[in-house]
Amino acid sequence: MSVLTVPTGRPRHKVRLLNRLAWFLVPAAPFLIVLALWALAGEIFKPSRQTLPPIGDVVAAIYELAVSGQLATNVAASLYRLLLGSLLGLVTGVIGGFIVGLNRKIAETLNPVVVFFNAISGIVWLPLMITWLGIGTALAVFLIWNTVFFIVFQNTALGVQLVSEVYEQGVRSLGGSRWETLRSVTLPGALPYILTGMRTGLGFGWRALIAAELVGAASGLGTMIFDAAEFHRSDIIIAGCLIIGTISIAMDRWLLLPIERRTVQRWGLVADAEKER
Amino acid sequence: MTSASADKLSDKIVVSGFRHFFETEDGPVQATGHIDLVIRGGEFVTLVGPSGCGKTTLLKALAGFIRPTEGTLTCDGKPIRGPGRERGVVFQELAILPWRTVRRNIGHGLEIARVPRAEREEKVARLIGLMGLAGFEDRYPHELSGGMRQRVAVARTWAADPDVILMDEPFAAVDAMTRLTLQEELGRLCAATQKTVFFITHSVDEAVFLGDRVLVMTRRPGTIKAVIDVPRRAAGGRDWESFTTDPEMQSIAERVLKLVRAERGASQAEESRAALEATA
Repeated sequence: MSVLTVPTGRPRHKVRLLNRLAWFLVPAAPFLIVLALWALAGEIFKPSRQTLPPIGDVVAAIYELAVSGQLATNVAASLYRLLLGSLLGLVTGVIGGFIVGLNRKIAETLNPVVVFFNAISGIVWLPLMITWLGIGTALAVFLIWNTVFFIVFQNTALGVQLVSEVYEQGVRSLGGSRWETLRSVTLPGALPYILTGMRTGLGFGWRALIAAELVGAASGLGTMIFDAAEFHRSDIIIAGCLIIGTISIAMDRWLLLPIERRTVQRWGLVADAEKER
Repeated sequence: MTSASADKLSDKIVVSGFRHFFETEDGPVQATGHIDLVIRGGEFVTLVGPSGCGKTTLLKALAGFIRPTEGTLTCDGKPIRGPGRERGVVFQELAILPWRTVRRNIGHGLEIARVPRAEREEKVARLIGLMGLAGFEDRYPHELSGGMRQRVAVARTWAADPDVILMDEPFAAVDAMTRLTLQEELGRLCAATQKTVFFITHSVDEAVFLGDRVLVMTRRPGTIKAVIDVPRRAAGGRDWESFTTDPEMQSIAERVLKLVRAERGASQAEESRAALEATA
């Protein structure tokens, strides 16, 4: 916040508290609308429990899953795979993006192979990979990596290419080596794009994870949903979706956004949504 | 000027037979004409010329960012093969790093040179005081005004303690009032540190105000058309008030202005003739 902020009628810490509360509550409104529509649809169309279970059933299902310990086991299995696959995707994607972003010739050489494999989605790999990796963590991790890697890779390569040359020239004129410019210019300069890649990648990573678990795992949220489908338990299916979405939001808000706030927003590289208000 | 030491008389930068062409899709384009130039140690040389004349090309070659098509450039007798610590650069556009605080930007060169922390902090603190940045040490560049950012850029280059400082229109992007202050501060800083400075500008007043020698460049492909010595009576006495009231300085500025305007006029006349031919 600028030192020149015009004083408002209310004390600043109070305004801040209100802002924080708004930041928390306003994004919840669309969810409330969806819940209202859900309840309304139940009243108007009177669907069977299997078609669209009432909200109460879903809440009860979540409670049951939590109490029985199934929820914790499945969430842990899924999160482990997601984090492992995403971390691998992130590290390899950033390294690959740097190599390609820094060297036009390598970029031109690798472009066709990247486009080729990027087009082959996780679902296509699945039947082949089940025979290669078997059912379980390795399969899920591969499918998540396959998704996260390309997103992080392409964002990083773009970010590296867009770092202003003048920063690098400045550091070189201070006596900085090639390695020093990589460390102090290219990496922080490309960070907005790397973070965007991470956020997008993690979202798509969830999709890949659930797809992998639907057929290729013995535990996890995807398996839970798949089993529920066999027993026509729509309440558990929707409960699974709610849990996936909620964890996804939590990771975004408490893991990725704080990183963004402390780095690229602090440096003024991207607009700070809170400051605008 | 202060008394000339042996170091001051030696040739610091020597440019001989420099010519540069840029490769484009339509073939090579000549950026500069034939340039020979000697800058002596401790000298403040300003270069003024119409836009597009190749001033920045010459500076980039001296910085080691581009390889000249023809000719040799040396610094202390050694050929310039790339960027180096002994040749600091202050850029026209903002080159300080947005992700480093004022303190860490200024100390970056010292960090690279592995200067011990205590010594580094002391040097940085001195420059922060000298450049009027006290109280802003832990700010990031986006939180500063344009003038302050340029002060950080100047301080960063000075902190690394290069022999030669190359400046490419460093104050072009700041407002007019701030620019006057920055020019005076630069004059004082140079008088205090006895650095060799090569300073590019398109402002005649700035060139005469700061330079011990003013070089005037022709329009593209630029060559050096005239060299004007600027006598300094008082050591380090560079302030705008005495500059604007000194008839000698004013007559030098007028002379330089005439030389520059002749170039600008010629290039404009050429452009309008070309435009007429194109429409005919």
